[in-house]
Amino acid sequence: MRSELLAQSAPLSADAHLVDSGEGLHLLIPNGNRLYEIDADVHARIDRLLRAGDETGVTALLEDLGVDAPRYVDDNPPHEPPVRALSLAVAQKCNLGCSYCYAEGGSFGGPATSMALQTALASVDLLFGDVHAGERVNLSFLGGEPLLNRAVIHAATQRALQIAAERGAQVTFSITTNGTQLTPSDGEFFEQHGFAVTVSLDGPGAVHDRLRPFRSGRGSYDRVIARVVPLLERQRRMQVSARVTVTPHNLDLKETLDAFVALGFHSVGFSPLLHAPTGQHELDGAGLEAMLEEMVRCGAEFERRVIAGERYPFANAVNAMREIHRGTHRPYPCGAGAGYFGVSAEGELAACHRFVGDEAGALGDLAGGVDRERQARWLSERHVHRQEPCRSCWARYMCGGGCHHEVIARDRPACGYIRGWLHWCIGTYARLSQRRPDYFAAGP
Amino acid sequence: MSIEPTNLTAQLHHRAAGNPPSTLPDSAISNCFPGLEFDFRNVWRRLLEGIVLHEASGFVVGAESPHERLAGRYLLSVAGFPTLMEVRNPNGDAQGSTFMEWSNALADVVALHSGEPVPCVFFDPQNPDADPETVQLSVRAMFVPSEATDGSTAAIGEELVQPGELTQSLCSPWQNDYQECGCYYWAASRPDYVNVEHTATGAIGNNWLARSRDPKRYDVPNLTHEELFREWEDLLRFIVGGQDAQ
Repeated sequence: MRSELLAQSAPLSADAHLVDSGEGLHLLIPNGNRLYEIDADVHARIDRLLRAGDETGVTALLEDLGVDAPRYVDDNPPHEPPVRALSLAVAQKCNLGCSYCYAEGGSFGGPATSMALQTALASVDLLFGDVHAGERVNLSFLGGEPLLNRAVIHAATQRALQIAAERGAQVTFSITTNGTQLTPSDGEFFEQHGFAVTVSLDGPGAVHDRLRPFRSGRGSYDRVIARVVPLLERQRRMQVSARVTVTPHNLDLKETLDAFVALGFHSVGFSPLLHAPTGQHELDGAGLEAMLEEMVRCGAEFERRVIAGERYPFANAVNAMREIHRGTHRPYPCGAGAGYFGVSAEGELAACHRFVGDEAGALGDLAGGVDRERQARWLSERHVHRQEPCRSCWARYMCGGGCHHEVIARDRPACGYIRGWLHWCIGTYARLSQRRPDYFAAGP
Repeated sequence: MSIEPTNLTAQLHHRAAGNPPSTLPDSAISNCFPGLEFDFRNVWRRLLEGIVLHEASGFVVGAESPHERLAGRYLLSVAGFPTLMEVRNPNGDAQGSTFMEWSNALADVVALHSGEPVPCVFFDPQNPDADPETVQLSVRAMFVPSEATDGSTAAIGEELVQPGELTQSLCSPWQNDYQECGCYYWAASRPDYVNVEHTATGAIGNNWLARSRDPKRYDVPNLTHEELFREWEDLLRFIVGGQDAQ
């Protein structure tokens, strides 16, 4: 099955991709990520042209069908986009010893540090620098383990709320934590301010313990669950989600998903481990194929539950359905280095939380603000039209070229996985839009 | 060959077979010339508190207490700026007078007197021998102020237009221009060639104005202006809830 999905999703053309959902034939036009239902005649014609590598023929046929269009995405990067989201590395240290950690034990390869109060407050000031009434910004806290510097989180949150109130602007908050330090009063604080709380969990019990032990080597799962469950029970405004980093050692995704959904997480999402500074636990080609198969198992259950009208918060599928329905098309995988920056404990601006302390993503500092020259270069170089082999791939405006941090460190080992998953999701979308149009009418 | 849009970007880009690019929302003339999607004349009708003007002349179509008596009169000047101007032919002969377009007549009033009461002079056609009456009326702010922009915005003040008023004078199905404006012209954000099928010898379909859909061809007798004015709801065959209304 996995090799079949890889073959069906292979990049035959930059301008067209065919999907057989089993209940209908579909054409995705990457220019605008427009999805069409087609008859067997159109399907056969396009299929013939794709297999012959006849790009000119594809272009002509799209014109005949009346679905040609000016380019939705041009080559130009956004010019000096305003800062709209910051993540603060409030504690560049961690009490866990996960061997795959991109932050290398939380300190990003340097000495363990904590963000000073003044640095955090200056970050908030930068975040609101040119924010006007009615606009929205996001402030997030990461590390290392951010809850090792709780006082600064509280102070930065209060400062942000105060400025937002003064400006008539909106601010949302998020935090990514290993869960070991959570307390009932944290739950109260997060609930009060509607935090999106992401807990890193790699599977049930021993599976998690192997990948995410304390520095002593002892497993952390029981501790995390004991601390997280009270938060799950009091979720109203806050949303507590589980994020699973997938390695060769925790590939039973369906079991993990069901276990965490049953615990009451707002959503559960999976990301493949593509690059670890230590090189440990990275997924190779076979591992990514195995992960794809598991993702499809989870996706099939998601589809069944949606048809049955049941909630099943498999974040990867929920997000894919939303984006495919909208036809979201973008030249970047995320807002890193555009409207979003990571701030190191020392007050340096990085393209995102992963680039803290990394010269490759250095884009200024709190004192001088965003280095607009470096930012312009970053946005120009990272544009998906400048990436290979993305330019010839049908999925380029869905994937945006892949996580900058992983691509710079390890190139693109996961393209087959990404395309296979998106291909599957397009089929799921096509079926669900027929069977449960109400799921999309609600505007997920 | 059949191809039907599924997701939102595809639906937005849907172009009915046989119709030109100008029937798409993003390439329609209304998108190229902002303003043509509504009739800007209507924003001037409520500029003066207490009365409602005609969109194209100084005729007062409505008035509120205590100015009820002004309904049916003509507005001749505002804050000293005339609304009428003399018309002459190319030989210089006087041809009477005409109301200026509001943007020309009242731009200075907006610039100089927003929020202030100003003298407004009215002529009563029921009493043509009486002297024109001067009444103090306040000038409404045309644009919504904003602290964020240190002043005005491009948003039209809510008091200036009621829901529906910005589009009420466009070419609607019961109006002449609706038929006059083909799909190549701005007013027609709709296809002209419908129910199109591809055949070995070319496309066949209906003219949107065809009195009858049978036979399915373009050059058939069309609805007349008068038929449209009177029975547009029935004759235009609107699609309601995905179903042909007829």
